[in-house]
Amino acid sequence: MRRGVFLAAAAWVWVLVSMAGSGWGADEIKVGVVGPMAFTQGEGHWNGATMAAEEINAKGGVQVGKKKLPIKLVKVDSNEFLNVTDATNAMERAITYDKVDFLMGGFRTEAVLAMQDIAMEYKKIFLGCGAAHPELCARVAKDYEKYKYWFRVTPINSTFLVKVDFLLLEMVAKKMATELGISKPKVAIVAEKAVWADPIVNIAQENLPKMGMEIAGVWRPSPVATDVSAELSAVQSAGAHIIFTSFSSSVGIPFAKQWGELQVPAAAVGINVEAQKDGFWAATGGKGNYTLTMNTYARVKMTDSTIPFFDKYKERFKEAPNYTAGTYDALHILVQAIERAGTLDSAKVVQELEKTQYMGGAGKIVFSKDHDVTWGPGFVTAIGTQWQDGQNLCVWPDGWQGIKYEGCVDYKIPPWVRAHYKK
Amino acid sequence: MASDIIVNGLISGSIYALLAIGFSLIFGVARIVNIAHTAFYMVAAYAIHFALHNLGVPYLLAMPLAIVLVVGLGLACYRLFIDPIREHEAAVLIATIALAMVFQEVTLMLFKGHYRGTPPLLEGFLTVAGVKVAYQQLLSFVVVLLVLGLVWLFLGHTRLGLAIRTTAQDREVANLMGMDVARIAMLTMAISVGMAGVAGAVVVPLFVLDPFMWLAPLIMIMAVVVLGGLGSIKGSFLGAYILGFAESLVVFLLPMGSFLKGSVALSVMIVVLLIRPEGLFGIAFEEER
Amino acid sequence: MLLAQLRRIQVVIKTEVLVLPSRIAVMLFALFLLTVPFYWPDPYLLRILTLASIFAIFAASWDLLSGFTGQVNFGHALFFGVAAYCAALLNLHLKFPPWVTVPLGAVAAVGTGLLVGIPCLRLKGTYLALTTLSFPIILMGLVFAFPDLTGGELGVSGLSRLAGSRVGEYYVCSVLMLGAGFLMWKIGDSKTGIIFHAIREDELAVRTAGINTTKYKILAFCLSGFFAGVAGGLYAHVMRIAGPSTLEVSLSFQAVIWAVFGGMVSIYGPMAAVFILFPLLELLRVVPQLRNLAFALIILLILLYMPEGLIPWIRDRIEKLCPRCKARNFTRRSHCRICAAHMH
Repeated sequence: MRRGVFLAAAAWVWVLVSMAGSGWGADEIKVGVVGPMAFTQGEGHWNGATMAAEEINAKGGVQVGKKKLPIKLVKVDSNEFLNVTDATNAMERAITYDKVDFLMGGFRTEAVLAMQDIAMEYKKIFLGCGAAHPELCARVAKDYEKYKYWFRVTPINSTFLVKVDFLLLEMVAKKMATELGISKPKVAIVAEKAVWADPIVNIAQENLPKMGMEIAGVWRPSPVATDVSAELSAVQSAGAHIIFTSFSSSVGIPFAKQWGELQVPAAAVGINVEAQKDGFWAATGGKGNYTLTMNTYARVKMTDSTIPFFDKYKERFKEAPNYTAGTYDALHILVQAIERAGTLDSAKVVQELEKTQYMGGAGKIVFSKDHDVTWGPGFVTAIGTQWQDGQNLCVWPDGWQGIKYEGCVDYKIPPWVRAHYKK
Repeated sequence: MASDIIVNGLISGSIYALLAIGFSLIFGVARIVNIAHTAFYMVAAYAIHFALHNLGVPYLLAMPLAIVLVVGLGLACYRLFIDPIREHEAAVLIATIALAMVFQEVTLMLFKGHYRGTPPLLEGFLTVAGVKVAYQQLLSFVVVLLVLGLVWLFLGHTRLGLAIRTTAQDREVANLMGMDVARIAMLTMAISVGMAGVAGAVVVPLFVLDPFMWLAPLIMIMAVVVLGGLGSIKGSFLGAYILGFAESLVVFLLPMGSFLKGSVALSVMIVVLLIRPEGLFGIAFEEER
Repeated sequence: MLLAQLRRIQVVIKTEVLVLPSRIAVMLFALFLLTVPFYWPDPYLLRILTLASIFAIFAASWDLLSGFTGQVNFGHALFFGVAAYCAALLNLHLKFPPWVTVPLGAVAAVGTGLLVGIPCLRLKGTYLALTTLSFPIILMGLVFAFPDLTGGELGVSGLSRLAGSRVGEYYVCSVLMLGAGFLMWKIGDSKTGIIFHAIREDELAVRTAGINTTKYKILAFCLSGFFAGVAGGLYAHVMRIAGPSTLEVSLSFQAVIWAVFGGMVSIYGPMAAVFILFPLLELLRVVPQLRNLAFALIILLILLYMPEGLIPWIRDRIEKLCPRCKARNFTRRSHCRICAAHMH
């Protein structure tokens, strides 16, 4: 037992020493980038922020009052996919031990909700760049004084995701009608079993008949299913023309892969977060060709800064930016707000953040009353991208509300679907 | 619809069977609950992926190489971490959990948390009774049956196989009869891990690889093994198909609840156990004193 | 009156605690825990110790069931998760304060313990272990099936805090941990504990002795479920969210790891293991890439040399059993402290 005590004592001395060693940096601005760093999402968080910090520091840093302070990023590995407790510990550590001034990132909603509470307790500004759930911002509306330090920069909240989702579905249905003469397509709703996808399923069941479509059935696989060939067989037996997908987790890959391999005669459209990533093509062995998903970034001119950002990111990190790389915009927005406020004081920076009018890579970012990123024409619209022979190309908006970004291409019906119905 | 259920159930059941029989063997012979069993399956899958994509080795060569690698790794782990603490059942259990974690973390370090896939060995699909089955699925199915057949022949018709079965039935008596139980355990470990390796090799082109791919099948094969009766090869074989069919039934009959397929399969196992506490073909072990 | 009480405590400390180094260590540790906020009020440290306290209760409760009676439970997260969700829902919808929700959550966990325990009693050894593994997974399926109630993957969030401040939360958890630990240790030492022990060693013999082993096994399930439930309820209020992560397989495995690493059938072993391993995982943040790997390797290596667990290994090096009366004695003593027999 004595040895145990000795060990424990030694361990705590280590904590003490390492804590004493942590520098107080009044001459720099510390920004904690929170994310699951071993995963694509965390990499996106870190890469986007890194790029923005380098740009800002190259210009001499941030003008705070009379001083120019450089940005220092702190990598906060939340490990949130594996362990939610761990994520909150990482958050607490970043704030109290690394003494970060600001925070950004986060992905898994269960973890972000818990981390948000900690950040708010310390009155630290936390710019969300990953979790789409409305609850995060609803908290701001419910208890402004407490939660006002939270802002969501990306992605658009899930209520808007649903709207875009249906616009994409409509586009595909129209194509099916004009090119294949299917006037009343049957739609199979395949949505992972998750709360965010529930409203999509409900709205789809209610609205599809009104939109002139028939429902072939609803399948809710697990978000982490590794084999959905049974579901795909069932979809095919049901005679579906279109598969309306809602996937945010890994299931999006086996789905797309098996869909392409079995040449299921139904066009896949909707949300498939995995298909937003560059690794999707390799992960599906090219079988995910013609998958259509809602997306945040593509090499099209959404604003003047989209293409420069996209190209620079791709050159630097050898892959296209994923939506968690929105930390790039988040850091710029934060820095502008700090410069306007002339102080690092959280409450004052919040006031300036609320006035944000920023032309970001995904559109013009303006925060709503509950600190959510605004969706709509002239703001962030989100886009639809389709994999076409190894490239993820923008296919939507295709003239919706008069918007068609430079560089967009036409949606293509998968050739095997075309062949199946054009007899 | 019935044909859909049968075809899909058969295919997913075979992979479970291959994994579960390996798991069951080492439990039967050495009383080791090897939590790391499916971690070896993952290592094989990643090894093949690496050989294919980074070394340019053809698939048919990568497959045996990966299986050899995994068997070597399995034996090394057994000698280094499991054999020395064999007497302490609980410690062995944790050791295998820790081993699984080590494999997961090393994979995560080397390959990151990205999802990875490999193109199929055979392109295209076949229509069986109105159900589309990819050639790759069919190939995997055939390989699984082949391996299972070989294992069955080995266990049933060779002296060594007999020794393994005897040890599984009663370790103490086998020992008394002059069998080298330690060596048999080693050998069984090699076969067991090798089967996990084959399963890994077979699923590479079918599934998506990620560093946590070991957990979901682990739970399913544990259920299979318990359902079939611990240590019973026949039981594991049958149990695998029962759960495979249960899963595919859920998807077809309860599409809104297809996420529940795992839960339903596990519930099936529990119901069976409540009726037959020793599983379908389990040997009601004498209380080991 | 007060003086008499104090004197009694003094006597107990002198005759029961100060005689054994392990008990001195426990006392010092308790003193450390109770005083740390005064000289080291670091919120990060307090958070780690708060969570470690919660998990210490959880790990010890696993030991009470699986270590003592040998009913290996691979799905211990079931109790933790049920209690966490229950406490969260009661707090959120009925606005019950934590001091009501935590005990009610624990009672719900006991109920679950009964529900699961009774059918499982027919199963033995590995069958039981592998079957219990599946319960939290099935429940997780239900969590996703009824998102209106459980919040699905988001969990139930926005709970009230356990206490007004970080220090308050810390004291609630650490004091409860010390109390629950002491209670479980006492149970393990009592007649019931001895029967638990006996059931593990030879159930048939216990039955032959005319003891209703079924009753005792159910009792073990309930007691263990209760303490695990307390841990779950506390966790929900400290994290202020109860989500599906409280039912994950990894949490069930974690309990087994802590208990076996620290040394089973001791209660204090698993608790000490949590207080070593949980901060260790935080210390390993200095090497974020290798963190979990180093953690797993440390466990593997320690088990290789101390398969009985870390704490029993240390204990056996500083204390010995008296050859005559089997009482524990400090190694340096030449005569037993109880029966004065020669120690060598």
